[in-house]
Formats: sequence, C-alpha cells, structure tokens
Amino acid sequence: MNRLILAFRSFFAILFSGALSEEIAAALGLSRRVVPKAAPTLAVSTPADGALQILAILQRDSRLIDFLMEDISSYDDEQVGAAVRSLHDTCRDALNRYVQLAPVIDGVEGTFTRLASIDPASVKLLGNVPPQPPPGGLLRHKGWRCLKVDLPALQGKQNMQVIAPAEVEIE
Amino acid sequence: MDSRYVIGIDLGTTNCSLAYSDSTAPTERLEVPPVTLLPVPQLVNPGELRDESLLPSSLYLPGALDFPEGSLAVPWNPQPGYVVGRLAQKRGVENAGRLVSSAKSWLSQAGVDRTGAILPWSASEGVNKLSPVEASRRYLEHLRDAWDAKMPDAPFADQQTLVTVPASFDAVARELTLSAAEQAGYRNVILLEEPQSAFYAWIERHADWRQRVHPGDLILVVDVGGGTTDFTLIAVTERDGELALDRVAVGEHILLGGDNMDLALARSVERQLAEKGTKLDGLQLHALWHNSRVAKEKLLEPGSKAADEPVTILGKGTGLVGGTIKAKLRRADLTAILRDGFFPVVQSSDMPQRQRRIGLQEIGLPYAADAAITKHMARFLRQPPATAEHGAVRRTPSGLAAPTHVLFNGGVFNAALLRDRVVEVLDAWLAEERLPAVQPLSGEDLMHAVARGAAYYGLARRGRGVRIRGGVPRTYYVGIESSMPAVPGIPNPVKALTVAPFGMEEGTSAAIPTQEFGLVVGEPAEFRFFGSSARKNDPIGALIEDVGDDLEELSPMQVNLEAADGAGQLVPVSLETVVTETGVLQLWCVARDARRWKLEFNVRS
Repeated sequence: MNRLILAFRSFFAILFSGALSEEIAAALGLSRRVVPKAAPTLAVSTPADGALQILAILQRDSRLIDFLMEDISSYDDEQVGAAVRSLHDTCRDALNRYVQLAPVIDGVEGTFTRLASIDPASVKLLGNVPPQPPPGGLLRHKGWRCLKVDLPALQGKQNMQVIAPAEVEIE
Repeated sequence: MDSRYVIGIDLGTTNCSLAYSDSTAPTERLEVPPVTLLPVPQLVNPGELRDESLLPSSLYLPGALDFPEGSLAVPWNPQPGYVVGRLAQKRGVENAGRLVSSAKSWLSQAGVDRTGAILPWSASEGVNKLSPVEASRRYLEHLRDAWDAKMPDAPFADQQTLVTVPASFDAVARELTLSAAEQAGYRNVILLEEPQSAFYAWIERHADWRQRVHPGDLILVVDVGGGTTDFTLIAVTERDGELALDRVAVGEHILLGGDNMDLALARSVERQLAEKGTKLDGLQLHALWHNSRVAKEKLLEPGSKAADEPVTILGKGTGLVGGTIKAKLRRADLTAILRDGFFPVVQSSDMPQRQRRIGLQEIGLPYAADAAITKHMARFLRQPPATAEHGAVRRTPSGLAAPTHVLFNGGVFNAALLRDRVVEVLDAWLAEERLPAVQPLSGEDLMHAVARGAAYYGLARRGRGVRIRGGVPRTYYVGIESSMPAVPGIPNPVKALTVAPFGMEEGTSAAIPTQEFGLVVGEPAEFRFFGSSARKNDPIGALIEDVGDDLEELSPMQVNLEAADGAGQLVPVSLETVVTETGVLQLWCVARDARRWKLEFNVRS
C-alpha cells in the first residue's frame, strides 16, 4: 500500500472509529494482542497448607492430634481401648469424607497375584527379585491409593498454622 | 399454567427436607412421575459447604467473635448474618444462648406471642432475638435459595410448593406457617398434613397400592417425629367404582418425639455414671446425648445381638485418653426405656394423664405430661365418631376405632422393636373385641417420606394420582358472651358458636345465618376462638351452651371496622367461614350491605 494512502487511512480510521481495520493493521505489521485482565488475587496456597488442612480436619472431627501428642504410657489398655474405639470411628468417617481411598491391588492378601506390569512406585517387590520381571507373586499388602481428594477451598485470610484453636470458656 | 416442578417441603421440628417431581418426566406404568430428593447445600463447618439430604432446623445467631471473617458465605449470600443447618446445630452445642431450635413447637404454642421476638428462649445478652415465624421463614428461605442455586433454569417462586404441617396444628399455627412461607418468597404454597403426606409417600412407592387396600379398610398413621407425635385415620371407601380415601380423624397436638427418647436414654447413662461418682458438665452431657443415640442406633440395627454398646466421652482438653469417660448402654435399659417407657402395653381404656395444672407454671413448651405414646393412641382411637364418617370407620363394640392397617412414619420407627410393639398393642386391643390383627404397611425412608409424599400430592392435585379427602381437621367456634346482667365476681358465661364444622372442605365457604353481631365502627372488636378435635358433629351455626373441657381456647380473633362513615356507629354483621384452597381457615364479618372485613388472629398474648 502506498505510504501516503496508508498514513491517511490510518489517520482517518483512528480519527473516526478509534481503531485500525484488520487490513491497515496488517499492512503496518501490527498484531492484535488481548491485554489480559488482572486475574483476581488468589490466596497463594503451598503444599504445606494442604497438609495442615488435613491435620486440622482430623483434629476437629476426631481429635487425632490430641491422641497422638498425649503420653499414654501410664494408662491401662482398657482406658486406651475405650478412647481409641471412639476415635477410630470418627477419624475414619472424617478421612472417608475428604479423601477417597482404595487398594492398589484389589486382591486377597496371602494369595498368588498376577502382575500385569511393574511400576516401582505402585508395586514394591520383596524377597529374591530376579532381573526379569516375574509373572506375579504372593500379595503381602494390598497398598493404598488415593482416588480423589475433596478438601474444602481454603479461605484467603485463614491462618493455616493454627490446627486447633484454643478453647476458652467465658464464665 | 401448571408449573414444571412440584416441590414438597417437610418443615420439621428438628430437620427439614425437600423433594420434587418433574411433571414433564415420562411416566411408564406409574400414575405420576417419580419423586426425587434435593440434596441441600449448607455450611457444615466454617467455610465448608456440603450437600446433605436433611437440613437441621437450627438457626445460629453469631456474634462478632464466633466465626472467622467470610467463613459463613453461601453461594447465594456472601455475608449472611446468621447460620442455618448443620453448622448452626454444631456451634449451638457450644453456645446454646445463640441457637434457635424447635421453632416449630413454638409456632403452635398459644401461651406466647408467636410473632414477637422471643427466640432463643434463653438467649445470651446482646443477641437479637427473633420470632418463631421469622425462624421458620429462614429455614424456608434456605431451601428456596438452595433450589435456585441447583436449578437455575426453574426459579423456585414459579413452582408449585407444598409445605407440610402436623395434622394437629390448629388454624392459627397453620396461618403462621403460611405467612412464614409467604415472607420467604413462596408464591404458590399449599399446606398439607404430615401423616397424609406419609401415606402419599407410601402410595408413591407402591404402584400396586390399589391391590393392597380395599373399601372398608381403615389405616392408622402413627407419625412420631423429632418433636411431635401425630395420629391420623384414613378410611378407604368406594366412590363411582373407584377407590377413594378419606381422612376421618386427627389427633391432638402432642409435644413428644424422638428427641425426648434420646434424652431419656442419655439420662439413664448419666445416672449410671453418677453412681460411679462421675459428674458431667454441659458440653459433656451433649456429647453423651449424641453418643447414646449412636449406641442406640447400633443396638437397634437389624441382626444386632450385642448385650450392650459402649458410650464414650473423650477427655476435655488435650488429655484425651486420660480424661475419657466410659459407660455402656445396655440393651436391657434400651428396651425398658424406649419400648416399655414410651410404648408400654396398656389397655385400650387407659387414657394419658392430663396436663398438670400447677398454679405457677414455668412458661415454656407444653411438653406432653404423659410419655406413653400407646396411651395417647388409645385416647385417639376412642375419639367419638363423626357423622361425616358415614360409617366408613370400623369400630369395635366398645366404640374403639378399629384400624385394619397401620403405617409408621418418623425416624423413631426405623427400630423394628418399636414398630412391633405398636402392632402388638393394637392387636391385643382388637383381639379383645374379636377383631383380626392389623397389617403393617411397609414404609421406607422414614426420614424423607413426608417431603416425598408432599411432592406426590402436588401432582395428585392436578388429577394425576389419588387424593385424600380431608377438610378442616377439627371443629372451630367463636365465643359469645351471654347477654346477662353483670354479677360482680362471676364472669359472664360464654357460649360457643360453631363457625367451621369438622371436615369442611378446602375451597368452600359457608355463611352463619342465625347470628348477627353489632360491631362498633372504628374500634377493634375481639372474638374468643375455640377448637375441638373431640366434638365432630356440631353443624355450622350450632350454639354450645356449656364451653367444657373438650373445647380448647386458641388465640383470639379481632376485626377493626374502619370508621369511614361516622365513628361510634353500630354495624350489624354476620359471620362467614372460608376454607381456602391452601388449607387455611378464614372468618369474615359481612355487613347487610355486603361490605366484608376479615377477622385476624391476634397471636400476641
């Protein structure tokens, strides 16, 4: 395109419509670029936040941290048993609610299990392991895998360092 | 035009639920399209929203320091000033002074101002109280918002809505429920009685129900909810060669339910602990109550043979194991308390103890004085017959209504132990008078049946299923002071004029021709208002000379005639009764020149 014409067309296009047409833009060697809108500021959550959140949930719903941090050596088995029975129920409920767990190999422990492929991350071979992948072996432990994590979204201002708030009763 | 969806709402004392049916869904072999439950999103922890099939009827009024900022946001409101549902229930345990619960029981409590800000009844300082109507409104609003969030293409307000009430709710409590619904933005609301709804749920679950009941059968619905016990009799009749259903009797309002039973169990475990010298504080008592209920459910599971189930209260503070308190809920105690305490074997002539009348009674909820539900059942079945029954109710020689079937509703009856006991007691009563045993109708999903049945009824109203004929569940009267010279110290005797006979049908009206009242214009005139579930045969306009024990006084009604045409004038009016399509009773004053004024309930005590 003639330089003078191009200059005029650019001038009037901007003057009258406030924007260059595709054709002029191409001739000028300009490309349209969408300026991204500022993304809403999301709370930056770190891997530690997720771990702290799980701890907070297990403490809130089943008081697991209280149990683990307590020195139970001086209590008799009956006392420990009574507490654990109750804690076990609530702790498992809480875990099931937020994390869906399943065995890695859904077989019967102590029986022969055929292995399709061996990924060292999901199957650990024990005993006398040959250099060639064996067809299978005795299933000693089914393993656990997480199918789904369903944790509530974290709130921006939440202080994740607090796993359980102190409780103060007002008289 | 009919709405696409029909929504059934169970507004319960302890839990609410919502079921719906899509009227455009294909129906194969079924009379009506299937009914679905709506999972209700609600806060279960601060900042954590989850779908649950029930919405606990709990409302928490948080203070500034109760929850972290922003953690109460729900999808439809970023900053609500209150919490409804599971989180409210949880937090309320820790701070009962900010928790509103059992609002529904207060709704039917005539001794208090039900539109006044009275809840929480024992509120902490600085809590902005609210009225029982307002609390009910919040639950209904939450359900509406939950629907709108889940079904954005079908706004709640455009759908037909059915809200259930106990059959024993009087005209005032029904009107208050309706006004709570209207304040919550419900536009097409109809009220339905809970036991009827439970029966509709049974019909909905059994497409072959016409083969299961026959003309002449009489179905007793025993509905024991969290806070109330409700009885209803439904007669199966034949009309134009088709099976028809008539609701022929409704019981009195009994404030007694599953919550009382769980509390009784917790008390027995508490006594056990006290004997060992262990005292519990408020929070521990609540944990005990909760854990006893869990233990109860385990013991009542079908197939459970355990002689006892541990009830454990974990230690307070961080010393969890050290402070753990152990107790046991024994099966023998469970049976003694639940079955023999609440459902004792009694004669059909054993009547419940009447409400105690102590000079100074603490104001609060009028809990039933007698916990024996079987005695309340005997009293219900001994209600004198109504002429409106037309002989549809089978009776024993001694006058006891003799059901052929019994339908259970309410979570309490998940326990076979209690269902079997009710059947055992009924069978004994019938056998004594040489009648065959009752047949239990198998209800399922007892926690949600009322909401499901309500959705079914919404479709039945459109002619797509069977409808139970009911009408006004009791007879209503206005009190008239006798015109007699005043004697000091003796109140003028009051006569009662029948304004709505038992069974007066929805969508009808009737004039009371015999009596005219002179009302002064420009001044509010008040009428005393009575109801009776025992007197079923008083025709409209009948005058009862002696207002005895079988008439129960309800909130007064008042009318204010505007003084447009000269104050101090006496306008002669007659009364007219209207039962609206929504199931609400209205009384109107009609002047000779056809001007009309509505009588309003004066619920302020």
